[in-house]
Order: sequence, then structure tokens, then C-alpha cells
Amino acid sequence: MLEAIPLPEELARFVQANFKYILMVTVFPGLAFILLFVIFAVWFKRKYLARLMLRMGPVHAGKVLGWLQLIADAIKLVSKEFIIPRATFKLLFFMLPVILPVIPAAMIMLIPFAPDLVLFDAAGNGLVVFLAIATIYPVLSMLTGWVANNKFTIIGALRTVYMDVAAEIPLVLAVIGVVILAGTFDFRGIIEAQSRIWFIGPQIIGFIVFLVGLLGMTERVPMDFPVAEPELVVGVKTEYTGPLYLLTMEADFVNWLAWMLLMIVLYLGGYKGPDIFGDPTLSGVFWMMVKLLVVMILLMTAEIAYARLRVDQAVRIGWRYLIPLAFLNLVISVLLKYYFPDLFSAPSA
Amino acid sequence: MSVAIEEVEELKGGLMKVRIGVQHPISGQGTIVVTTDGEIVYEIDVDIGYSHRGIEKILENRTFLQGIVPMERMVMLDTAHVTMAYVRAIEELMGVEAPPRAQYIRTIILEMNRLISHTYAFGLLAESTGWFPAVFLWTTGDREPFLDLMEMLTGARWSYSFIVPGGVRADLPQGFKEKAKEAIRYMRSRLDLYVDAWLDNALFEIRTKGVGVLPRDKAIEWGAAGPNLRASGVPYDTRKNEPYAAYEEMDFKIALETAGDAYARAAVRIQEMYTSLDIIEQALDNMPPGPVRVSVPQRVPPGEVYARVESARGELGVYLVSDGKDKPYRVKISAPSFRNFFVMEMLPTIQEVKFADVPVIYMSLDPWFLDADR
Repeated sequence: MLEAIPLPEELARFVQANFKYILMVTVFPGLAFILLFVIFAVWFKRKYLARLMLRMGPVHAGKVLGWLQLIADAIKLVSKEFIIPRATFKLLFFMLPVILPVIPAAMIMLIPFAPDLVLFDAAGNGLVVFLAIATIYPVLSMLTGWVANNKFTIIGALRTVYMDVAAEIPLVLAVIGVVILAGTFDFRGIIEAQSRIWFIGPQIIGFIVFLVGLLGMTERVPMDFPVAEPELVVGVKTEYTGPLYLLTMEADFVNWLAWMLLMIVLYLGGYKGPDIFGDPTLSGVFWMMVKLLVVMILLMTAEIAYARLRVDQAVRIGWRYLIPLAFLNLVISVLLKYYFPDLFSAPSA
Repeated sequence: MSVAIEEVEELKGGLMKVRIGVQHPISGQGTIVVTTDGEIVYEIDVDIGYSHRGIEKILENRTFLQGIVPMERMVMLDTAHVTMAYVRAIEELMGVEAPPRAQYIRTIILEMNRLISHTYAFGLLAESTGWFPAVFLWTTGDREPFLDLMEMLTGARWSYSFIVPGGVRADLPQGFKEKAKEAIRYMRSRLDLYVDAWLDNALFEIRTKGVGVLPRDKAIEWGAAGPNLRASGVPYDTRKNEPYAAYEEMDFKIALETAGDAYARAAVRIQEMYTSLDIIEQALDNMPPGPVRVSVPQRVPPGEVYARVESARGELGVYLVSDGKDKPYRVKISAPSFRNFFVMEMLPTIQEVKFADVPVIYMSLDPWFLDADR
């Protein structure tokens, strides 16, 4: 098929040599997967939460379960006018929503979806690179609020900083426990180390800390004070309308996806699962998707079951409870590793 | 931390004024101007007047019977109580008394209306603490049986115009009692669920306990009304202190809490919903036979009167002056929301209020701009 398309010699050779990677970047786990996930997640969230709230959710567009509603909404948002407040830094105001979804997408690039399906394994330092890229997101988010130059967005930006302080530090400390048990920063190494037992078992304290940190990093209830609707409208995104709002919302969901995938890799055995298709790649992707769906449903349910914490309460929980718990988790990890070293090593096949 | 007025004046240069309203997810038809440094609130200024309809002036141009409809526009969630206050004033001036059966039907309507209003208020409070609108939608769904009952009885889900001088417009329809009992049973089970799932929820507690504390002496001094007063430990309820309709014959207790914070106010509202169900049940069981309306003269003898009822938001007073014509000479309405807004403005002067608590305080006091504006 490739020969039929007239391409310059070098480009054709490049495409032929890197066909697999180009496919991965554009389709799975790259662009198409991320966009499809966002569409699916928003639709699923609306339908699922609607049921929990005794509503129907979208029903009209697309006869079956309103599946076309998201497309319709996207078209509506894209066709809207760009409204730019007068007192903004226009270049950044336009650029930030475009940059924002790229950061979590780069995080997803590091996640292995199957033993041989990983875009970029960072020479065995996947976890470090993941966390390093993740630190950029809150900074850009804060910048978004500052650029818009509105009272609500500036308060939202300040709260994003508080959130970062409250959630990210305990989260990173909790992740160190996993690294101690697995003995590696490599995602595939971490998953292989869970061959006998998923880390959610021995790392249950770390998992709880990680979960709260994840809710904070993704700005979900009960840690969603940066986007607190009753007082801040939508926090840093207040001034965005139309296509730019669509992009910020997409960034939100891509960020959510990246952190959920990290949780699956670190604590829920990643792509591990019974080899039902007889093909490790296919089975790995299948199990990743199944786990993703389960985690997604659980997190969405948590979203309507709780109230929102106040800034001071969230920071207090982060520093007074989560950080000591994370340190306790470190001690437990060291002891476990010392007394049961065989339990957390890859089976020597 | 209490902030002296001078200190606020001094700080004002570095503070910002955030306008919550008129177009804001939590504000009603008014603006709350919050002076804050981003987290701590130094001043709350409630700006009413966006929905002033001049109801008091309109009433001067309507006959006493016609006045009921514009009167209802004061607060749509609670129309039975506003009409009751107006009708009570008219009846006192006329010196007529509605027959006992009418008094019982009035009691049923008033309590159902209180229930409808409180479910709404509780849902909004839960939403202001950041609950995804789940609670709000559940509570609005749960008052639906009572709206249906209202439609069955009065012909309208809102704005009933059912309580008139001399009684009520019509008798109970067939099958009303059975349907009402069913709705009461359903609502009781739902209220148990609210208490289990939300009032006892740890996150709801830490968001509302100790927030917007209104001490007993300040509650009296500032004239807090209704559930807010009772949440501060003052056992004042017009239904008990100055009974109207058939409340004298009903067996119920005043809902009381002593903490005075947002949580106590929510708890008082839940208790009052239980009480309302009890009262409706008693009224249905002990309903006396007889007519539901007596004829009244078109003209009201000259004189002046002040009548009050316990509306869902607190004590609502109507001061009525008649000069012997078929229209009132002057009507002055004392709205509970107006007093509760004043309490809200005063709260930052006695304690530290966080910016994130402003919606919680607002919704726990449950004032309505429409009610305050009139």
C-alpha cells in the first residue's frame, strides 16, 4: 500500500522504517486513543452521573443513549466566538489552552500498554520522567489563571498552587514505596515485579495516599477547590469560551487519563492478566482497558459521594496526615523488601 | 480573628472586591460583594434591589382579594405562607374567623409548603459545599409527590392563591388523604436517607461545622429569623408563640440546636421536615367536618393590624392599614430574608470567614433576594 503513494525517497524510507511508531503516535496509544477516550469519558460521565442523580442524561442527539451529544456539543463550542478580555496577555491566553493537553499526553507516552507496546521508555527511567513532566501541568494551569487577569481566575490560580503543595508531595513520597519494592524506575520493571501480587496489597497505605494525591492533581471532588463552582465559577478557566474552553476541558480529561494509567501501572498490575487472546500485546491492551474502565467508574462514583474540602483543610490533610502516612509506607516497604525479597521480583522464566 | 472596621479601611488598598452575582452559579437575583484577600473575607456586602417589584405599592391598588396574587410573587417557593400572613391580617381587621375545617386544610398546605421550601434549601446547601448537584437533584425529585398533592388540592404546583379571607377556596378532593399518607411515608424514608448519607457524612460535617457561627446573643441582637434563630438555641417559633391556623391543636416540638453553625442550621431544617410530616399526618387524621369558607364583607373596617406567620425562612410580618375602603391604605411587609441577609453581612465582624465558606453561609442562612427585595 505504501508503494502506491508517491513519496520522496527519504520520506518513504523513513515511514517504512518507523511505520510501527508512527502508527503508535497517531493511533494507539497516541492521538486517536486520547481523543476517543476524552469523548467517551465525557459522554460516559454525563450518562453515569445522570443515572446516579435520578436524571436521564443526554437522550436526543443520536437515538441510542445520546451518543452523538458530545459531537454536537463540540461542534457548538468550536463554532462559537472567541471572546478575549481586554486586559489579558493575548498570546499566552491563546497558547496556553493549546499547550495544556500536550503535557498529560506526553505523560501517557511513557505508559506501557503491553510488554512490547510502549512509545518511549526513557531508558528505564519512565517513572521519574513521568513525575517530572507532571510538575509542569499545575504551573501552566496557574499561568492560565494569571493570564486571564480576572478575580476568579487569579484566586483559582492561587488555589492551584495550594493544591500542588497539598497533593503532589505526598503523592511522590507514596510512589517511592513502589520503587523500593520493585527496585526500578522502569514501568515495565514495576509491572513485572507485580507478577505475584499487585502492589495495592503490600502498598495499601501508599495507595490511599496516592489516591488522594491523584484526586488533587486531577482536581476532582473532594480536592477540587481550584475549580470550586459555588465561589469561583470554574476557577482558572472562567474566562475561556468556545473552542478554547473545549481545549482546557480536554486537557482536564487527558490529565485525568494519564494519572489513572499511572495508578493502574503502579498499583493494579498494569497490563498483567490472564492471556485470553493468546497474544500478549492484545491481552495486555485488553486488561489495561478493563482496569481503566473500573478505575474510571470508581473515581466518578466518588465524585458525587463527597463534598469539597476547603483550601486550608486540604493542605492540612496533605501535610498532617498524608505525608506521615507516606513515610510510614516507606518504612513498611523497606521491611517488606528486606524480609520477602522474592515476593516482588519478576519470575525468572 | 475579629477584624475591626478601622483595620478593614486600612487594608482596603490591598484587598479585592469579588462580586458574587448577578450572573454567578450560586447567587440568586442579587449580588454579594465580598471584600477578600483571596482566602480571608473581611467584609460581605449584600446588594439587593435587582428584583424589586414594588409589591407593597401594588397591593394598595388591588382589592383585598385581588392582593393575594401579587403578594404571592414575593417568594415563589413559599407562597402559602405569604398569603397566610396577608389573609391573617385581613381576617383580624374584619374580625372573622375561618371555620375549623378550613384551618386544618390551611395547616396542611402551610406545612407542605415548608417541606417543599426546606428540601430545596437543603439541596442548595449541599451544592454549595461542593457536592456535585446530586443532593440538589435528589431533594428536588423528592418534593415532587408534594407538588403533585398541591396540584390535586389547589390546581397549581406553585402559586396556589388557595388561602383566602374567610377560609380556603375548596375542600379536600377525593383520595387526597390516601395519597398524602403515601407521600408522607415516602418522604420519611428519604429523610432517613438524607440523615444517613449527607448529614452524617464526614466531609459535609467538616465543611459546615464551625462555619458561620451565630452565637445566641448575636442572633437575638441582629434579628435572625426562623430556622437560623432556632439553630442558635432560641426556642422561638410563631407557630407555638402566637398560633394561627390549627397549630394550637397540633402536637409538635420546636426544632432546636445550640451550635449556631451551618451544620446546626441544616440539622434544624431536617428536624423541621420531620415535624412538618407529623403535623400533616395529625391534621389529616383529625380533620373536623364542616364548611371550608365563610362569606366576608368586601370592605374592611378602618384600623391597623400587624399579623405574623412562621414562614419557611422565618417570621414574616404584614402590617396592614385600612381606611374603610375595599383596598388597603398601606401594606408593609417585614421579610425574614432581609433580616437574614443582615446577619450574613454581620458574620465576618465576629469571626474569621473564609472565601470558600461564603456560599455555605449564604445557603445555610437560606435568604432569598426576591423575598428581601419585595
